[in-house]
Amino acid sequence: MTKLKRMLLAAALGLPFAGQAMAQTKIEGLHVWTSASEVGALKVITDKLKTMGFEWQDSAVGGANGANAQQALRTRVAAGNPPAVMQFLGFEGLGWAKEGVLRSLNDLYAKNNWKAALPPVMLQFLQQDDAFFSTPINMHRQNWVWANKSVFDKAGIAIPTSWDELIASAEKLKAIGVTPIAMSDESWQIEELFESMLIDVNGPDFYKKAAIDLDETALSSPEMIKTFELLGKVRGLHDAGFTGRDWAAATNLVANGQAGMQIMGDWAKGEFLAKGMKPGVDFLCFPTPTATPNYKFVFDTFGGFKIKNADIEKGQDAVAEAIMDPEVQKKFNLIKGSIPARLDVAMDDFDDCAKRSFSDRVAAIKNNAIYGSLTDGFAVEPRFSGVFQDVVGKFFVTDMSAEDAVKSLVDGINNAR
Amino acid sequence: MSRSTPLSNRIENWLPRLVLAPSLLVVLVAVYLFICWTGWISLSSSMIVPKYDFVGLNQYVRLWSTPRWHTAVFNLFVFSTLFLALTTGLGLLMAILLDQKIRVEGTLRAIFLYPMALSFIVTGTAWKWILNPALGVQKVVNDLGWTSFVFDWIAQPTFAIYCVVIAAVWQSTGFAMAIFLAGLRGIDNSVIKAAQIEGASLPRIYRTIVVPMLRPAFLSVIVLLSYIAIKSFDLILALTNTGPGSATEMPSTFMYSATFRRDQMGVGAASAMMMLMTVAAIIVPYLYSELKESRDGH
Repeated sequence: MTKLKRMLLAAALGLPFAGQAMAQTKIEGLHVWTSASEVGALKVITDKLKTMGFEWQDSAVGGANGANAQQALRTRVAAGNPPAVMQFLGFEGLGWAKEGVLRSLNDLYAKNNWKAALPPVMLQFLQQDDAFFSTPINMHRQNWVWANKSVFDKAGIAIPTSWDELIASAEKLKAIGVTPIAMSDESWQIEELFESMLIDVNGPDFYKKAAIDLDETALSSPEMIKTFELLGKVRGLHDAGFTGRDWAAATNLVANGQAGMQIMGDWAKGEFLAKGMKPGVDFLCFPTPTATPNYKFVFDTFGGFKIKNADIEKGQDAVAEAIMDPEVQKKFNLIKGSIPARLDVAMDDFDDCAKRSFSDRVAAIKNNAIYGSLTDGFAVEPRFSGVFQDVVGKFFVTDMSAEDAVKSLVDGINNAR
Repeated sequence: MSRSTPLSNRIENWLPRLVLAPSLLVVLVAVYLFICWTGWISLSSSMIVPKYDFVGLNQYVRLWSTPRWHTAVFNLFVFSTLFLALTTGLGLLMAILLDQKIRVEGTLRAIFLYPMALSFIVTGTAWKWILNPALGVQKVVNDLGWTSFVFDWIAQPTFAIYCVVIAAVWQSTGFAMAIFLAGLRGIDNSVIKAAQIEGASLPRIYRTIVVPMLRPAFLSVIVLLSYIAIKSFDLILALTNTGPGSATEMPSTFMYSATFRRDQMGVGAASAMMMLMTVAAIIVPYLYSELKESRDGH
């Protein structure tokens, strides 16, 4: 009996230690990346992690624009079993940091001087009460137009310099029997179009007032009505089969030459590259047309939850260091289609679209014209951006007037405050 | 007397209760406790995670000031009414026709019941393509030569909800048919024979004798279909994803997006409570009247 007891005790105490000594510490990461390019890009980080002595335990939860992953995370935090590392977009990380469940990375930030390496506009999404809680891996640009070059040539269209020109070009495309704008009736895809117009037509300062500060005067201003009227002009410029279309399917219409252009973030680039098409030769990428150049960003970060385990904490630090490694950022973004979050990564190996994104970002930082994307959750908290999405989506698919749209936008925002 | 009850009798008395106790406990905790918890959350200011403060009916006021919620409630009524009426009606009709001792009944029954074996995700995706004007019915008819034919309900905010009804009816009619058919088979043939001898016509026999005798089958069908209608979450997501422009929003999809996408857990909980109350207001009196009568009757 005592022998059995001793054996059980030895097994209970000894096994965890034996297990840790044999294998690398596992660091669990919960994220939403499931497409081929996303998984390939993530592998750059996890390979680096392996050389640092930690094994990445992958927990991918895709679907429902990230809502499924948020649901999984909430359940696990509530059960006291959070993942070691979590991917955050927009305000997600800030929400958890306010709950006090994220680990501070201030020591690492200070030691490596990461703050200086990142665009200043990013910092507000990385820290809460002066504590850095996550590290960014990339930056996507939201306000892009993707066009099929041969279709543009056939219709005799040059790159438009204003939204009126863009809409006039769209009419020309319609005349030669091509779907002018590849899109979907999904509200968020319509909102990508709307938010580009909002900043392009009214300037970055207005965008900040309306979409970030949610200033009621700006929201109910004539500029806002004008923006909705502009969006209304796009109503007839899509095809009939746009119901429920995936954004990537819309990109493929442009790549195949069935449609002329798409207004979408640079995650669309991968669809062209996957077909072996070359930027500038087979397809065109240019920022949405404006007299006041601007840059709208979306980026992915990873933060760690407070877990009382020294090995896990070391692993969380390793993840942060791997993400902030300039070489990792370069290789990751070559696959993902975005540009490095760090400002000091050499861009020589990137394609022309990425180079343009990088140089435009430098200029926009200098001119105070860089802001977070509304659709993708970098302008306001989800309960507000959801209202924009509801109103813009409804406006586009019905014959709602611009005045009514502005009124329901203001009411909706006030209701969500 | 009771003291001298043998042990085996006492065990026999207690056994059902013992066996039922765990499941009763699970139901108490997993259903009723969480209903109470949701009710509590709906009175709090919870956003990203539950918060246990008290803000009165603020979240309900916020909920009812959201136009999308009004759409959701309206859609639930349109959808449930049409779905229940069409599925029950068509299911009954098909059951009666199948009951006429036709030749390939077994095969037909399997064909009609088959959609029930599909998940709503599959049904939704298939109908999304069938109803898409550039891919499905409209394109086929246009290609056949009738070029002015238009069937783009799924792209029309005012008609999109009927597309959801079509897909749901297609999926569930076979199920209603199966239950009615079982009910029809349970009816004593001699009753019908007697009516025929009295000279009643076949439609009259069905209307005044058979259908009223199917009452228990109606109860099962209506209760089960109402439950399908209210939880019709996956069908909406696959078929329209609440679009175009949140025109096919349902209370269930509203609750999910408020709670998990928009960080408005309080509003989400309030919408869940409204759903519960709506269901209770309709189902409870119906169940009460049906079950009470059957108890009195037998």
